[in-house]
Amino acid sequence: MAAGCGLAALCLLSAGATAQQIVRQSALQPASTQAQSIELLWWIMLWAGVAIFLAVMALLAWGLWRGQQHEAPLGLTASKKFVLLAGVAIPSVVLVILVGGSLFLGRSIASAPPPDALQVRVTGWMWWWQIEYLDSAGNVTATTANEMHVPVERPVAVELVSGDVIHSFWVPQLQGKTDMVPGKTNHSWFVATEAGEYRGQCAEFCGLQHALMAFVVVAQPEAEFNAWLDHQAEPAPTPTTDAAQAGLAVFEQSCGQCHRVQGTRAVGVLGPDLTHLASRRTLAAATLVNNPGHLAGWIGDPQRVKPGNKMPRTPLSPQDMNNLLTYLGTLE
Amino acid sequence: MTRQITYDQTPEATELLSRTWQSPPGFVSWFTHVNQRQIGYRFVVTSLIFFALAGTLALIMRLQLIAPENTLLGADFYNQLFTMHGTTMMFFFAVPAMEGLGIYLVPLMIGTRDMSFPRLNAFGYYVYLIAGISLFVALFLGMAPAAGWFSYVPLANIAFSPGKGMDFWTSMITFIEISALAAAVELIVTILKQRAPGMTLNRMPLFVWSILVMSFMILFAMPTVMAGSVLLALDRAFDMQFFVASGGGDPLLWQHLFWFFGHPEVYIIMVPALGIISTVIATFTRKPVFGYTALVLALVATGFVSFGLWVHHMFTTGLPHLGLSFFTAAGAMIAIPSGVQIFCWIASLWGDRIRYATPMLFVLGFFAIFVIGGLTGVMVASIPFDTQVHDSYFVVAHLHYVLIGGAVFPFFAGLYYWYPKMTGRLMSERLGKWSFALIFIGTNLTFFPMHQLGLQGMPRRIYTYLEGMGWGDLNFAITLAAFVLATGFLLTLINAIVSRTRGAEAGDNPWQAETLEWAATSPPQNYNFRHLPVVHSRNPLWDQPDLARRQYVKGLRADRRELLVTTLLEAQPQSVLIMPGPSIWPFLLALVVGFGFLGFMFQPLLFVVGFALSFFAIAGWLWPRKPWLSTQEN
Amino acid sequence: MAISDVTAPQFSVDATDLSRFHGGTDAPVWWGIVGLILIEMSVVAAFVISYFYLVMVNPSWPPTGHPASELLWPTASMMLLLVSCVTMYLAGKSVNQDRITAFVCYTWASVALASVVLVIRWQQFQTFDFSWNDHVYGSLVWTISGFHFLHVVSAATGTSVVALLGMLNFFNSKQRIGVVVDTLYWNFVALAWIPFYLILYWVPRMTQTAGG
Repeated sequence: MAAGCGLAALCLLSAGATAQQIVRQSALQPASTQAQSIELLWWIMLWAGVAIFLAVMALLAWGLWRGQQHEAPLGLTASKKFVLLAGVAIPSVVLVILVGGSLFLGRSIASAPPPDALQVRVTGWMWWWQIEYLDSAGNVTATTANEMHVPVERPVAVELVSGDVIHSFWVPQLQGKTDMVPGKTNHSWFVATEAGEYRGQCAEFCGLQHALMAFVVVAQPEAEFNAWLDHQAEPAPTPTTDAAQAGLAVFEQSCGQCHRVQGTRAVGVLGPDLTHLASRRTLAAATLVNNPGHLAGWIGDPQRVKPGNKMPRTPLSPQDMNNLLTYLGTLE
Repeated sequence: MTRQITYDQTPEATELLSRTWQSPPGFVSWFTHVNQRQIGYRFVVTSLIFFALAGTLALIMRLQLIAPENTLLGADFYNQLFTMHGTTMMFFFAVPAMEGLGIYLVPLMIGTRDMSFPRLNAFGYYVYLIAGISLFVALFLGMAPAAGWFSYVPLANIAFSPGKGMDFWTSMITFIEISALAAAVELIVTILKQRAPGMTLNRMPLFVWSILVMSFMILFAMPTVMAGSVLLALDRAFDMQFFVASGGGDPLLWQHLFWFFGHPEVYIIMVPALGIISTVIATFTRKPVFGYTALVLALVATGFVSFGLWVHHMFTTGLPHLGLSFFTAAGAMIAIPSGVQIFCWIASLWGDRIRYATPMLFVLGFFAIFVIGGLTGVMVASIPFDTQVHDSYFVVAHLHYVLIGGAVFPFFAGLYYWYPKMTGRLMSERLGKWSFALIFIGTNLTFFPMHQLGLQGMPRRIYTYLEGMGWGDLNFAITLAAFVLATGFLLTLINAIVSRTRGAEAGDNPWQAETLEWAATSPPQNYNFRHLPVVHSRNPLWDQPDLARRQYVKGLRADRRELLVTTLLEAQPQSVLIMPGPSIWPFLLALVVGFGFLGFMFQPLLFVVGFALSFFAIAGWLWPRKPWLSTQEN
Repeated sequence: MAISDVTAPQFSVDATDLSRFHGGTDAPVWWGIVGLILIEMSVVAAFVISYFYLVMVNPSWPPTGHPASELLWPTASMMLLLVSCVTMYLAGKSVNQDRITAFVCYTWASVALASVVLVIRWQQFQTFDFSWNDHVYGSLVWTISGFHFLHVVSAATGTSVVALLGMLNFFNSKQRIGVVVDTLYWNFVALAWIPFYLILYWVPRMTQTAGG
C-alpha cells in the first residue's frame, strides 16, 4: 500500500510539470460567433476608453502646465462651458452609443437558441461537471463528465443547473458565462466557428476546490461529433484480458459506490460517470492530463491533487492498482 | 457670575472652558471619553491599523499566487484570507476611515464643539473595535469566514459552511452596521442642527455636504444588509429556509439584499473622498473650487442613482435581459455626475500656479487612477462584455482601481492635509513624495496587468492555477509590484509616526485654507473654538482674514458643556444644547451588545440575555441626571 | 495670532437667554429618533419586499399544508396598538398642559395595551401549526412576528421608564423631550404592524388557490 502511494506520488511529480497541450482560455481568442461579437465590442470600448483617458489627462496636464507658465485661470463662463461640454454633453453621447450598442448586442446573445440547436444539460457539482446530451424530447442520450464535445457551425444550447451551490459555466473562447443557481434552470447558447479544444473554468466561488474546477470543450466537424456522441451512448466494452477483468472487480468494489460505468454493476452517481474515461483528455476536472501515471497518482491520493475534494484516498495494493489501470484503459 | 465669564477673555475663563471640555487622562478614563476629536481620531487610527492588516493578508495571498501550483498556502486558508481581505477593507477600513474623518472634521468645519450625541459616538467606536477584534481573533484561530466578502448562499449557508466562520461573519457584520448607522445618524443631525449661525446650507463646505450625502446613503443602504445577514443567521442557526431552494427560498434573494446594500456601499466610501478632493483643490489653488452648486448636485445625484445599480453584480445569474438592461442604463448614467465633478475640478485647476505638496500629488494621482477605474466600470456595465469578465481578474482590476483611486488616494491626500491640524506637526514632504510615487507606480504595476489576466480567462478567488495556462509571468510581476505598493504605504505609516515628534511645527493654518477648522489651533484646544464663530460667506477665513473683524457667539456657559442649536436651513440660533460629560455607559453598552452578538453564535439564548442586559445599560445611559458640571467634584 | 489675543471680539449672537430645554424639532434628539425610525423603516421595507419576492418565486402561496392563519387575534392586536397610539397622543397632550396625573395614567394605559398585545401574540405563537424550518412561509411568519414582538417589548419597556419618571415628577410642559421621542418611537412600532399584518395575514388569503 505504501509502495502504491509512493508510486502515485512519483507519477504525479514526474508528470505534473509538463502539460502537453496549452489549452487556452482567452476571451481574446474567440472561436464562436458570440465570443467574436463580444471581442469586437471589447476592442471598440478599449480604444474609446484609451482615447477618453488620454484626452482627460491631456486636458489636466495642459491646464497645469499653463498654470506653471503664467497664471491665467479660466473665467466663470469658460468654466461653465467646459464642464457642460466635457462633463455632460460628450459623455452623454458616448454613453448613449455604448449603452445602445451593448443592449443591441446583448439582446441577440440573450435570445432563444434556434430550434435545431443541440441540447446539452450541464450540472455543476462541487467540483466537477456532469454533462448530459438530450434528444428533442428531453431524454438523456449520453452522459459524460468534465469534457464536452460540440459540432462546429451548429448552435449548441446548454441548460445549466446546479446540484449544490452556485457555480458558473464559462468557456471564454466560446461564450460569456452563465451561473448555475440551485433551484433555477439557466440557458445559454453558442455557435462554434472553428474546430479545436477550448478550456472552460468555474467562475463563481464554490468552495475549497473552486480553483481546480475546469473542463474541456472539443469542437469537431459534424460527422466526427456524431460519431463521438454515438460512441458515448454505448455502454463500456466487456473486459477480455485477465488483468482487465480483475480490474473491473476492483472497480466495482472500490469505486462503484460513487462512479458509474454503464454495462457494469458500478452504478454510483455521486461522482463523475466514467464509462468512457480513457477517451478523455484530462482528469479531475481538467486538472491533470489523462495518462496512466496521473491516473494512478489521482486514484492513489486524490487529496494530494485537490485537497478537500470529495473523493477519498483509496488504498490499493500495487497489483490491484495495475489491474484497475488496465481496466480503466479499456474504457475508450 | 458664571455667565459673564463666557465672553470674558481672561486666562481664568479660558482655563475653565478648557477644563470643561477636557477628556480626563488615564487608562480607565480612556473608556469614558466622548469628545468628537478623540473619537474621530480613534476611528481614523483604528481604520489604518485594519488597512495594514488587510493589506498584509493581500501580500500573503500574492505570495501564494506568485507561481502556478504553488504550495505556500492551502486552499482553505487562502479562501479565509481573501474573505478577510475583502471584509476588512470594506467594513473595517474604508467606511470607518471616512466616518472618522467626518467625526473629527465636521464639528470643526461647521463651527461647533462636539457632535449631537457624544455618547452614541463613543458607543459606535467601541462596537467597531469589538467587531474588528473578534473577526481577527477568528482568523488567528483558523475559524475565519471563507465564502468571500459577499458570502453567496448556498455556499455560505449551514449545509456547505457548517463551521463557525460564517457565523462570525453574519454576527459581526450585523454588529458593525450598528456602528456605521450610529455614526450616520449623528453626522446628519449634527450637520443639520449645529451649524454656525449664518452657515446656510448654501455656505456649507463641500466636505460637509459629502459627509451628509454619505450619511443618508448609509441610513438607507446598511439596514438592507443587516436584514439579509439576520436572515442568513436565522437560516444557519434555526434551519430557516429563506435562501434554501428546496424550502421555497431563493439563493438569489441573498444577492439582491446584499447588493442593494453593496453597491451604494462603494459610493458611501467614495462620496466623502470626492469631498476631500474638492477641499484640497480649493486650498491649493487658493480660490473657491469652480461649480459649488454643480458639485453639490453631483454628490446628491451620485447618492440617489447609486441605489439603482445593484443588479449589475448579477448580470450572469439568468435574470431576464430586459430587466438587466435597465441597470446597464443606470450604470452608464452614474458616470455623468462623476464626469461633471472631474471637469469642475479640472476647470478649477486650469491655469493656476499650484503648489505640488503631497496632498495635491495624491489628488492628481486620484485623477489618473479613478478615471481608469471609471472607464472600466462603464465597460463592465455592458452586459455582453460583463458575461466574459465578471468574476475574473478584470473585475478585480476594476474594483481596485476605483477603490484605490477613488477612496485611498483621496483619503491619503486628506491624511497629509489634515495631519497638521490633528497633531500640530507637518508630515515630511520628502517621505510624502516618495510614498506617493511608490503608491502610484505600485498601484498601476499591480492592478493594470490584472485586466489582461481576466481577459485571458483567469477567474477570481482561486488559490492556485495550472502551469500551462500562461498566467504565471504576469502573476509573478504583479506579486513583485504588490510589494512596491506596500512599501509606498509603509513610508506613509513611518512618516505619520515619525512626524509626530520630529515634524515641523504647523501653526494654525499652514496651508492658508478657507474652512473653519483652520481657525482653531493645531491641534485644536479641548473646546475647539474659544468662541463659536458666526459666518457670512462660503469661505469664512478668506473673506474675513482680519481676526478682529470676525463675529462670534457669546452666552454659552464655560462651566458645563453647552453648544448652540441652529435652524435647519438658515442656521439661525434656536436654542442651547447641554452636553454630557465623560461617561462609561457607551463602553458598557457596547460590551453587552457585543456579548449578545458573539454569544448568539454559540448559544442563541445568549442573544436574548444580551438584549435584556442592554435595557439596563441603556437605562443607565439615559437616566436623567443633573447637567454635568466641570466645577463639581465627581 | 489667536482669538484669545484679540481684546474685544465682536459678538453678534447672544446665546445667554436661549432656552436650554427643547420640546420638539428644535431638539437634536428628535431628529435622531427620526433617523432611527428611517433606519427601521428600511428594515421593514427589506422584509416586506423580500416577502413579496418569495411569494413570486413560489408556485403556490401559502404552500400546501399551510393554510392562512386566522384573522381574529392579529386584527385584535392591531386595533389595540392603534388605540395605544391614541393614548400616547393624549399622554403627550397632558404633559404639554402640565396635567401630570393624566399624563401618567395615559402612559401606563399605553403600556397596559401593549402588554395585552404581547400576551395575545404569545398565545398566537403557541397556536402556529407550522414550523419555521420546513418552508420559507413559516420562516417568514415566525421571523416577522418575532421581530415585531421584540420591538413592542422594547417600546413598552422604554415607555414604562417614561411613566415611572413621570410619577417622579420629572416631566413637565418645558421638560418633555423624553416623552416626545418615546411617543415617536411608539407610533412607529405600532404603525409598522400594519404592513406586516397585511402581508402575513391578508396576502396569503389573496394568493391562496381554492382548496388551499
